[in-house]
Amino acid sequence: MALARLDDLTFSYPDSAARTLGDVTLRIEPGERVVVLGCSGSGKSTLLRTLAGLVPHFHGGRFAGRVEIDGRDTRRERPADLAGTVACVFQDPEDQIVMTRVEAEVAFGLENVGTPPDAIAGLVRRSLASVGAEHLVERRTYELSGGELQRVCLAAALALAPRLLLLDEPTSQLDPGAATAFFELLGELPCAVVCAEQRPARALEWAERVLFLDGGRLELDAPVDEALDWLRVHRPAFLPRVPAAPNEPASGAAVCRLDSVGYEGRVGETSLAVGRGEIVALVGPNGSGKTTLAKLAAGLLEPTSGRVELHGRAAYLSQDPGRYLVRERVEDEVALGSGGDLSRARAALASVGLDGHEHRHPRDLSSGERERLGLACVLVTEPDLLILDEPTRGVDPERKDRLAELLRTERDGRGTLVLTHDLIFAGEVADRLVSLDEVREPALA
Amino acid sequence: MSPAPAAALLAALGAAALLADRSAPPAAIALVLLVVCLRARTPRRWVYLAGALLMSGSVFVLSPFLQSAGSHVLWGGPIVPVLGSLDVTREELAMAAMQASRLAALSLAFTAYALLLDHDRLVQAAGFARRSTLAVALATRLLPTLERDAVGMLEALRGRGVALSGVRGRATLVSPLLAGSLERGLNLAEAMEARGYGRPGATRLPRARRTALDAAALAAAVVVLVVGVLWL
Repeated sequence: MALARLDDLTFSYPDSAARTLGDVTLRIEPGERVVVLGCSGSGKSTLLRTLAGLVPHFHGGRFAGRVEIDGRDTRRERPADLAGTVACVFQDPEDQIVMTRVEAEVAFGLENVGTPPDAIAGLVRRSLASVGAEHLVERRTYELSGGELQRVCLAAALALAPRLLLLDEPTSQLDPGAATAFFELLGELPCAVVCAEQRPARALEWAERVLFLDGGRLELDAPVDEALDWLRVHRPAFLPRVPAAPNEPASGAAVCRLDSVGYEGRVGETSLAVGRGEIVALVGPNGSGKTTLAKLAAGLLEPTSGRVELHGRAAYLSQDPGRYLVRERVEDEVALGSGGDLSRARAALASVGLDGHEHRHPRDLSSGERERLGLACVLVTEPDLLILDEPTRGVDPERKDRLAELLRTERDGRGTLVLTHDLIFAGEVADRLVSLDEVREPALA
Repeated sequence: MSPAPAAALLAALGAAALLADRSAPPAAIALVLLVVCLRARTPRRWVYLAGALLMSGSVFVLSPFLQSAGSHVLWGGPIVPVLGSLDVTREELAMAAMQASRLAALSLAFTAYALLLDHDRLVQAAGFARRSTLAVALATRLLPTLERDAVGMLEALRGRGVALSGVRGRATLVSPLLAGSLERGLNLAEAMEARGYGRPGATRLPRARRTALDAAALAAAVVVLVVGVLWL
């Protein structure tokens, strides 16, 4: 019997005329490894929420069709009753942390599903060990990095020994090494896993089956080999790619020069220059200090050693798109950086594909759209140095290609520093790929 | 000390401060709690302490003008419509000192709870009131979360070349911060539901065994409460 059955599922969120999912029919068998691909806003997250029973119970809206998990109709069962059979890890780990200590966080779900008290501590340790996070057990959750939080969330889900594990962009905050290790771990799990991804290369290597959603409709449901053929014809941007070699080096004068810069032990003795007209991609593992270095370059932090030279104005795009939701309308939000000039704000919105969204409330945008709003907010300032911290998080491959093209088209006249874990994007956009280890002085690297 | 006896002791101190009808006992309790709060090794303690001081200071300064009591006039002010006479009397000052010290003791008890107690262990120790304890623990995290969000938003604005200055400029962040915390609350509620929260038959991690210090703290809480009821 199928573990999950969706029959003619159609769903719209409250106050939305558009269908988020339309006529979706599929089966998921026990132990299957399924990757869900699709553009931002195509309904991937909603599909996962439907499988967890959160749609329609938690979100409301118009729901038609039938969804059964392990033979149980999700309209009759509460999501809490499905917990244990189903476990989820959502996109933003910070928004799903309930407790302040890692041990209590992983134990939270086990307690709720009635695990015998004497077994809880052992299960917590075992699930943390399975994701390589046993050392975090006594740590405070608010002290952890995004990558560490993601592991803790996965451990909390695995501790329940679910039959169906739902993952929404689980590697979006992980460096390439950690992302590879993550998919290796998923490959060893006995349960069925449904994983929505925007970086398809590793997911396609791991998966047995591919679903492709477009505008809420299931356009493809096929084994990986067939899916690769289909993607080649219909959506080539989603095909696995080899990181391209960096482009030709640019020769403009330095817009920003970091000379043996250090900051409170988080960044040690690092030197880096970004020339005008040049795009530099800075890569490095989670917690290596890339963000701190970017803030030093942008003038948002003062170095504790070394010197930062900045010729002109810098603009910095933070990793967290929630920080660009200050005003009531999208165009007003962007116009904050253009001194209130709405025509410049609209042009910046159009350049990131958000034309037509000018009058919406920023909080009504999807997570991928919020990322692009943040980008428009910094592009509109027309900086001499543009610093983008993980600009492709939550952005689909087609949109990434357009972003790379936009950055390359507009690169003249400014220096661009891109911090990213996405080596494919880095290869496509950058003139120079710099590893943080290369630019640190050897004794401290 | 385990968090449950510590929370009981803090609650008893807060209750005793409220029960007192003179200003010396709540002031003494506030002083003890201030020393305890200063032990917290987080820079955030200054935010809590400043808040406690500001609130109790405001009560001490404003309340004599807002009440009419006593006959020993120390300062005769004008008569203001709605508020009446703005005279300050010795009795009003004494009452203001008592209210201010009560408020200081209460807010410092909360500060000690927020900064020094392990809320997870408190939730696990809560038997019949687990839901309420978890709700209080989550609400306690609101202030540090708002503070972190505010810092992040200001930094993002600086990264866009926008500088907010003065109280008025920063006040524009209040609405987006509250909207952000509502959104975060919804996301958290969804994650909790998906993890089985509210399902009947929940268990909990075994509690750590009570120590002699825990027993002493519980006994002290009872004593403080009794003293508050009978003598303060």
